[in-house]
Amino acid sequence: MENLIDITIDGQTIRVDSNENIVEACARAGVKIPTLCFLKDISQNASCGVCVVEVEGAKSLLRSCVQKPTPGMKIRTSSPRVMRARKAAVELLLANHPDECLSCLRADTCELHTMANLLGVRADRFPGYKKYPPADNSSEGIIRDDRKCILCGRCVSVCEETQGVSAIAFTGRGTRTRVATFMDRGLAQSACVQCGQCSLVCPTGAITEKDESQDVYGALGDSRLSVVVQTAPAIRASLGEALGLPAGSLVTGQMVAALRRLGFSKVFDTQFAADLTIIEEGNELLERLSHGGTLPMITSCSPGWINFIEGFYPDLLDHVSTCKSPQQMFGAVAKTYYAKNANIAPKNMRVVSIMPCTAKKYEARRKEMISAWDWWKDKDPESTGLRPFFDVDWALTTRELARMIRLAGIDITALPEEDFDDPLGKSTGAATIFGTTGGVMEAALRTVYEIVEKKPLESLDFIQVRGFDSIKSAEVLLGGSPVRVAVAHGLSNARILLDEIRAGKSRYHFIEIMSCPGGCVGGGGQPVLADIEKKKARSLSLYEEDRRLPIRKSHENPAITTLYEEFLGKPLSHLSHELLHTSYKARVF
Amino acid sequence: MTKTISNSEPLNVESIIDSWKGRNGSLLGALEQAQQNDPKKYLSETTLREISKRLDIPLSRVYSVATFYSFFSLKPQGEHLLIVCRGTACHTRGSLVLLNEALSRLKIKEFNEKEENSVTSSDNLITIRTVACFGQCALAPVIMVDGLVLSRMTVSKLVSLLDKLKKGGER
Repeated sequence: MENLIDITIDGQTIRVDSNENIVEACARAGVKIPTLCFLKDISQNASCGVCVVEVEGAKSLLRSCVQKPTPGMKIRTSSPRVMRARKAAVELLLANHPDECLSCLRADTCELHTMANLLGVRADRFPGYKKYPPADNSSEGIIRDDRKCILCGRCVSVCEETQGVSAIAFTGRGTRTRVATFMDRGLAQSACVQCGQCSLVCPTGAITEKDESQDVYGALGDSRLSVVVQTAPAIRASLGEALGLPAGSLVTGQMVAALRRLGFSKVFDTQFAADLTIIEEGNELLERLSHGGTLPMITSCSPGWINFIEGFYPDLLDHVSTCKSPQQMFGAVAKTYYAKNANIAPKNMRVVSIMPCTAKKYEARRKEMISAWDWWKDKDPESTGLRPFFDVDWALTTRELARMIRLAGIDITALPEEDFDDPLGKSTGAATIFGTTGGVMEAALRTVYEIVEKKPLESLDFIQVRGFDSIKSAEVLLGGSPVRVAVAHGLSNARILLDEIRAGKSRYHFIEIMSCPGGCVGGGGQPVLADIEKKKARSLSLYEEDRRLPIRKSHENPAITTLYEEFLGKPLSHLSHELLHTSYKARVF
Repeated sequence: MTKTISNSEPLNVESIIDSWKGRNGSLLGALEQAQQNDPKKYLSETTLREISKRLDIPLSRVYSVATFYSFFSLKPQGEHLLIVCRGTACHTRGSLVLLNEALSRLKIKEFNEKEENSVTSSDNLITIRTVACFGQCALAPVIMVDGLVLSRMTVSKLVSLLDKLKKGGER
């Protein structure tokens, strides 16, 4: 309930809502109070001490991120006392912070650096004394470096509250306080699902993606290799932002041009595999609906989500579609169908994917993801080689690609719009919206409806499953009977739907779950420092792209039709199962 | 020896934890009682996992609370507990000498009181802890042995105390 009161901020009387914190009230009054640990809707830890303000009558300075205004309160936000305190708070944080700004992945996006600069910190005032264990690089996706941690608690909050994972928590006490996993074993052995949401909210370089760009440069520099690249749907709406353009800038054609200039021999599209996913997953759903299979069926595109259900709800694994994610379907098809047609020895082929995601790095390294090797090994030992290879060699995040483009001196705004290569670059609008919450559901409904009803949909837009509401649901008539669907994004929201299934109370037939809030547009590999408005802008751009594409239904993608005719046979065929489907197992931590 | 341990363990850890389900402060209560009940007076990884599972609290949070309080030990504790007061009054009256003497008599080479809460002799006989202050400054330097405060300690009193503990005496 809004409760309006009058307070004075720096001599100006203004009316504010007493339910908001002082920091928010001040923002409305045009005063931006600097904060480090505070992050709206995510973290309110009151640990950094940067947001202090002076309140008349109060003995000490107050932290504006947790203090609510009271009627008649007189606040000074920039008195000399306040400024001294803020600067000292940052100087104390810097005492134990390593001087590695030059080599830090967050060099240009570090909030601590920005804050120190803003507050005029010009010297190392306090000596450091803390000792830290070596950085935790046990997981495939994420690196945690305690030395750079300022104990703001954002990662702990997002892991516990947004994601319901609680892989990390504060441990120890006083000067020995650290963020750590259970028994300090490292992320790989913890509950961590590698979604990377912590790396999005970390103000410093303490939590980052595991940068694999050097490996990719190595492959690009090797003339014996044929290095192809695939780009996830969400990248086209976030790469521009990572390179300094406004949030939501759509740079599909320029992205393709930039990847060509970086030296990839073919620029393909994960969206091709997204269309393929819809064909396989749509048919799997119809199969389950008509033959009494396990329902509700749940989507399997998001590797953080797969890690989550394998760890927390292994009893419900039968509900998950056996379809591999588009990234993995692409790898398997590229190193079999495409390699064969293009006459490339699979041992000399490398598949790089550009993903909005840190968990994709882990997914690419799952030991079962060697379908192309399995397919080749008996057919042509010569070109297969002796060592098993992964279907996808490296998954780079949006942030890693942005750094590569900057390093190469490519000005994305000056590039022409180029087209993806054929045949694995052909896709539809249905595949584009995979990148935002509700998109996989909408794409699946477009195809499943037309398969069952054998007539075109009047409107392709299933707006009930769009938007950022935590759980969305809809009902669609298919062959005369209602099919109920639901969409959740963010793993805490997923828990709600999963608990219903566990209790036998779920009324749904088909559920889409994405690990990250907003879906892939809010993925853990996306540009940092993005609030919900920026994520919404990315999402709207994907819908925009969908609207303007000539083909908007996966089953109308001509390259997919050809793939089935020339190679796979039909959906859910034996070969489809070998290359495009997978299985899951309980994860113990 | 094994016999006495099982005799002193009338409750199993599962039922202790279950008795805290749904109660206020269940995590702290379960941690405290589970540690008291353990023959080696510590919280093993198995115990922490059991608490997490039975009280439905994430492993990381259980670990967080267990590492926050110096009262909780994650390593097996010795049969006897020796706490050396490292408060200002005791320090000025030689508590560091007492601490170092005890450590060297127990052949403990590495102990950084700023980094660790406690250290246990390799024969598991004695655990040494430090504490910021007992509030017994008038009697400095003080040492607590198995719950009893010994005042105006000297090196020779400490040496004979350790000898008695080694021979199986009561203090």
